[in-house]
Amino acid sequence: MSELTFGRYSPFNTVVHRIDPRSKIFFMILLFVAIFLQFTLWSTNLIISGLMLVLLIVVMMISRISFRSLLKSILSMWFLLLFLLVIYVLIPNQTYIYPAFNIGSLTIYYDAFYQWGYIMLRLIMILCTTMILTSTTKPMDLTNGLEWGMGFLKPIHFPAHEIAMTISIALRFIPTILDETNRIMKAQSSRGVDFTHGIVKRVRAIVSLIIPLFVSAIERSEELANAMEARGYDPRAKRTHFHVMHFKLVDLISFLFVIAVFGGVLTLFIIDKNVQVVNIIETLFKVNPGF
Amino acid sequence: MEKIVIKNLSYSYSAGNKAVDDLSLQVEQGSFVSIVGHNGSGKSTLAKLIVGLLRANSGEIIVDGVQLEDKSLNDIRKKIAIVFQNPDNQFIGSTVEDDIAFGLENRQIPSEEMPEIIKKYATYVKMEDYLKKEPTYLSGGQKQRVAIAGALALKPEILILDEATAMIDAKGKREIFLTIKHMRKDNPDLTIISITHEVEEALLSDRVIVMEKGKAVCSGSPLEVFANKEIREKYKLQAPFLISLKEELKDAGFDVDNLNDIKEVVNYLCR
Repeated sequence: MSELTFGRYSPFNTVVHRIDPRSKIFFMILLFVAIFLQFTLWSTNLIISGLMLVLLIVVMMISRISFRSLLKSILSMWFLLLFLLVIYVLIPNQTYIYPAFNIGSLTIYYDAFYQWGYIMLRLIMILCTTMILTSTTKPMDLTNGLEWGMGFLKPIHFPAHEIAMTISIALRFIPTILDETNRIMKAQSSRGVDFTHGIVKRVRAIVSLIIPLFVSAIERSEELANAMEARGYDPRAKRTHFHVMHFKLVDLISFLFVIAVFGGVLTLFIIDKNVQVVNIIETLFKVNPGF
Repeated sequence: MEKIVIKNLSYSYSAGNKAVDDLSLQVEQGSFVSIVGHNGSGKSTLAKLIVGLLRANSGEIIVDGVQLEDKSLNDIRKKIAIVFQNPDNQFIGSTVEDDIAFGLENRQIPSEEMPEIIKKYATYVKMEDYLKKEPTYLSGGQKQRVAIAGALALKPEILILDEATAMIDAKGKREIFLTIKHMRKDNPDLTIISITHEVEEALLSDRVIVMEKGKAVCSGSPLEVFANKEIREKYKLQAPFLISLKEELKDAGFDVDNLNDIKEVVNYLCR
């Protein structure tokens, strides 16, 4: 797997790495909510989102995440971004009010570009947040955190442990299966299967890859199940944990920080909806931009 | 004392095709028994039957005087650890230490005691420098040694190696042989059953059992079994290096009959 794979765990020992996985999952949920709160005015939306993005970028810098992999994953979504742009610009929308220019009889609005930009901004923020979580938390810790987080559902027989174990095994076997895929591809290529030319040929070639891959994965899973059972694994039995999670000082500090950000955005949102439209530009510069 | 007694054991995967056929054998406590035989002779099936991964059609398996059945399965499993053939498919944890911990977690060993146990057994198989490493960065032999550490950490009384060296390179095999020797010296009470294609490995054992079509057809000390040309040809066994060397020397007119390892042969020739 390439070093630049999105969200791959990077083994540094930064402050962010030391935060308890359970806290980090909780923070991610709070930030997602904050990202999706939408204000009345454009300017307020853009300023608040921009501030949050700056904050996320600072956290990314602290946790030593490579920006190249972020950039790469954004660029790899170029089709989606282009598609959204076309949708926003070309589909008529009654709520658009600021015309930019005309192409024939079609009026293009500034609103469309704003909408698109805002969606992109939020998408990038979500990417950043997820990336911070997955790059600074070992997959195993993440699943342990998830298991703990889903623990409150256990009384209704929600299979929290089973799900966590399944995820951790899936994560463990990704590199193994990728190796296998490469090996099968080479083996089939040497038998004359063409993986590089023409869509029809490629689709056909995929079949010759998928079937042996599935067969071997199923055999693998049976052997794995045997190995687990032989080592005394019983999903229903009580187990102890090698990784004991402790809430530490760094958790408290990061908790206060995230709560401050989340609380701030939420308060502004409540004021915006119930009391009075929040207009940051007017408050700061005494100018009303009117949007 | 007999650690494992197997009486008239039969098992078939599909009707009419017996993988293990009316097999009876005993394994002494503290002995190292190799089970050899070519593919499809029922060796691995036997291993799975002993740890209760498969249920026998008929016959019985008695471990430490207790018959293997649903009620006793958990207690018997606690005494037996098994290392399988494929190093990848038995690596459950995401790192070396997690993998050794997996069995300990199942046994409900308190979290505080785990690091010490893990360290001890990782050192035992010389993997102590790799505790935080992911399996992708390990060789087959290293993964297999981790599997042995994971098995030994459970303090088994019986260790089954189910073709544990079949998928790894020569260097990895040598490392595993050394680990087995080390284990035997350290813990003379540990009963080891090794299912193997590897005649050199079988040579380390106290007793060799040859399996053919689900039956134990021949049993004896490794030198007895492998020095017997008739048995070797009948069951398509390869001769270990020591035996072929002795045979060649004998043909050339040297008297090597009572030499029992390579060193003695070398000393004899250099005299």
